[in-house]
Amino acid sequence: MSGDRYQDHLFNPADLAEVVDLDLDRRKTILFAEAHLAEWTHWQVLGLTWNASVDEVRAAYIEQVKVFHPDRYPGKKLGTFRSRLERVFRRITEARDVLASSTARDEYVLATAPALERTRIEARRLEDERRAVERRGRLGRQNPLLARAERISELMKHGRALMAAGNFAQASNDFQLVSSLDPSHAEASALALEARRKGAAVRAAECVEKGHAAEALGSWQGALAAYRAALEIEPANPRTLILASRAAGEVGDAAAARDFAEQAVKAQPRNAAAHEALGLALESAGKRSDARKALERAVEIDPRLESAKERLKRLRWSFLG
Amino acid sequence: MSDQDPVIGIDLGTTNSVVATVRDGVPRVIPNRSGQHLTPSVVAVAKNGKSLVGALARRQAITNPENTVYAAKRLIGRRWGSKEVEDARRVLPYELVPGPEGNDVRVMLGGTPVSVAEISAQVLVELRADAEAWFGGPVTRAVITVPAYFNDGQRQATKDAGRIAGLEVMRIINEPTSAALAYGFGKKLEKKVVVFDLGGGTFDVSVLDIGQSVYDVVGVGGDTYLGGEDFDRRVMDWLTFNFAKENGGVDLRQDKMALQRLRDSAEKAKCQLSGTPTADIHLPFLAAGGDGKAAIHLTKQLTREKLEELTKDLIERCITVTEKTLKEAGVRTAQVDEVILVGGMTRMPRVQRAVREFFGREPCKGVHPDEVVALGAAIQAQALAAPPRPGSEVLLLDVTPQNLGIMVVGGYFQTVIPRNTTVPTNQTHLFTTVQDNQTSVRIAVLQGESEKATENELLGEFVLAGIRPARRGEVSIEITFDISADGIVGVSARDVATGQEQSINVTATSGLTEDELKRILDEHLDDLLEKKQSTVEVERSRARIASAVAEIEGLVPAVQAALERSRFGRDAIQKAEGVLARARQALDGRDTDELALVDEALERTLQLFKGLAAAPPPDEA
Repeated sequence: MSGDRYQDHLFNPADLAEVVDLDLDRRKTILFAEAHLAEWTHWQVLGLTWNASVDEVRAAYIEQVKVFHPDRYPGKKLGTFRSRLERVFRRITEARDVLASSTARDEYVLATAPALERTRIEARRLEDERRAVERRGRLGRQNPLLARAERISELMKHGRALMAAGNFAQASNDFQLVSSLDPSHAEASALALEARRKGAAVRAAECVEKGHAAEALGSWQGALAAYRAALEIEPANPRTLILASRAAGEVGDAAAARDFAEQAVKAQPRNAAAHEALGLALESAGKRSDARKALERAVEIDPRLESAKERLKRLRWSFLG
Repeated sequence: MSDQDPVIGIDLGTTNSVVATVRDGVPRVIPNRSGQHLTPSVVAVAKNGKSLVGALARRQAITNPENTVYAAKRLIGRRWGSKEVEDARRVLPYELVPGPEGNDVRVMLGGTPVSVAEISAQVLVELRADAEAWFGGPVTRAVITVPAYFNDGQRQATKDAGRIAGLEVMRIINEPTSAALAYGFGKKLEKKVVVFDLGGGTFDVSVLDIGQSVYDVVGVGGDTYLGGEDFDRRVMDWLTFNFAKENGGVDLRQDKMALQRLRDSAEKAKCQLSGTPTADIHLPFLAAGGDGKAAIHLTKQLTREKLEELTKDLIERCITVTEKTLKEAGVRTAQVDEVILVGGMTRMPRVQRAVREFFGREPCKGVHPDEVVALGAAIQAQALAAPPRPGSEVLLLDVTPQNLGIMVVGGYFQTVIPRNTTVPTNQTHLFTTVQDNQTSVRIAVLQGESEKATENELLGEFVLAGIRPARRGEVSIEITFDISADGIVGVSARDVATGQEQSINVTATSGLTEDELKRILDEHLDDLLEKKQSTVEVERSRARIASAVAEIEGLVPAVQAALERSRFGRDAIQKAEGVLARARQALDGRDTDELALVDEALERTLQLFKGLAAAPPPDEA
């Protein structure tokens, strides 16, 4: 054959001289293919041009298999050429597996595309995307139902993003809008509720925080106001109720202190601190017997509550004395 | 060995085996010495200690169930303690014991434990002898088929069986592939073909792309424990259950002889129902009455509907496997050009209907479901033996049936070569050490579908030592799997940094240790020598007999004349003719024992004829 076919490849004379039952041309074909296994692309291995169709890939593979499968040389002495054939066969099979596959092919086509092709493909992809957006927009304008669906999906997306960012008030707003657009949208109503609840919790926590700050400054009036504000938002939060009861006691409003403590006990009957607060409020109101009962209850729930124990001890003693 | 030596293809089935060859470019089945195409895959040791194979072994199964081994294919290459073996132990009338290393299965036959490979080898020896009788010369090379879903261990054990039987196993090929080969042979096809192979013990399904005589397997699937035997079992269970119900709880399962009779009639009834709507089962004197009461007979009618009801889930399992296999191969039912039915069970109308409904087309009726696999094996054997004539070349591109990989930390299975990869192939994966200053790794090579290592088949293991001590994860170990065209799995591990390397060929998995295999081969070597001697003997007596036959024929006119003059009856001539006919037959059949007998008879006849011819005419006396 002409030197062209092997691209002036330099054959190792020792390889060519091996005594095997293969004619010179076949030996050259095998050696040439083996020498290029690593450098060739899958396309080149199968003798195809870039982006050849799957059918072409299969056909080329079968042609190559007929040359490079060791079983094609039954009863022949192959020497080192047997393993050479196997190596080439594996390589062409690998190429076929990629190029005829429904998943790996597209990626490989893109990866091996000539520079010009690649820019063209990229441009086409961007153009397709732009058109898709435009088409959706056009449809949305034309069709009120689609427009509504589009708006709903946008609001939901927006609301979720706000929720993730911690902006519960705005998120709740978005979800409520969705609910008004589509009252049967269960997810939106659920999310709206959740956003509202989380928003309220955040705001209440802020008020409680303010109350703590006022306490630190010794302003029990300010603290009581802050706790009252927090209770406006979260009326049944036992922790806030206990804090408010204590603050009310400090400013001398025994009735309010007792009221808050009773609410706390009602909200969480197994909260020892709530019972203790109630006990303290009753004590300052002069109801020592009721106060003792409340404190006993607090210690019963939490025997380690030292402050309540202490108070109880003193109450008992004065009662007896 | 020259290329002129005949080569054969063997379908070593669960219930029946077939041997075939290609003669004058045409694949054909070789009949056994009784003239049958199918040889039962049954091996027995008779009460008198004689080894029996095939129809003879099957015929005496009822009276000798403990020493009659059938369905050995279901046990070949399996591990002792595996689910399949445990199931088999419960239902088989013959006894199973673990091998010397405790991990393979031995069959108690005639009081001694025999490896499953040896049992299969006995069937192969029989088939080989049939082929030799047919060819009139030695046969040493064969292609043997296995279910596509067989794992490496099962293939290796089958190959060992071939070696024990004195055959060079040119290749182990998959049954459905083989069937497709026979289906497409000599036709110019460009088709996508699905082979649906429901045999005696295994179910296989394969998807192939056939083009320009290249048979490219694109997907295989199956269940190595689903076949005709399971259908028979359903019928048997139904019979025993009803029998117990009607006869006050007589449990036939305790009676091995009764079970064997039940099995036979269940199978017969099942086959019959492929052609008729009902089948009658008559088993007189099936159970003793006990307490001096009369024996109990079994008379039952099985309808086709009942059979279909009993086996509905088995057929559904076949279709589920088929669906999964097609999906994995990325082929839709509409793309399939032909569905080929293989295996005796595909004669069942309900199976055919299920296939038809699933594929939405009529399955191909052009192939013989029992013989097509052996024919394909013969075609492949021929293609591997000699350069093909132009126009009849074939090339099989088969795939790995199951994932191959190694065990990784946590007892998980990491695939290196996924199933349905075309062989020969090799693939390399990188792994790292899991402990600080680890200097060696144990590599367990596994095959199977489970994510958990222990649920897969262990093919072998080895240790890579001499790793540079380093923090965990810093040492890269390259594991390369290599499957040759013969399907032999090789694994090597290499420390990328130091170049330290270790590898194994995964071969010793048939359950037979290398020593044992050698011993068995040595024993059979004696057999082979004996057989060669007897070949020489045959040649010698053949020459003697041929000359005797010629001499007798030459004397016939003189004897006839002498007889006409004597008071001897005409029957002397007739008897002599009988002897001559037997002699010719014995010469053709190469049967040593028969030749010896004929030799004697010929000698007597010759002496008699010589005497008669030499006797002077009475009137001259």
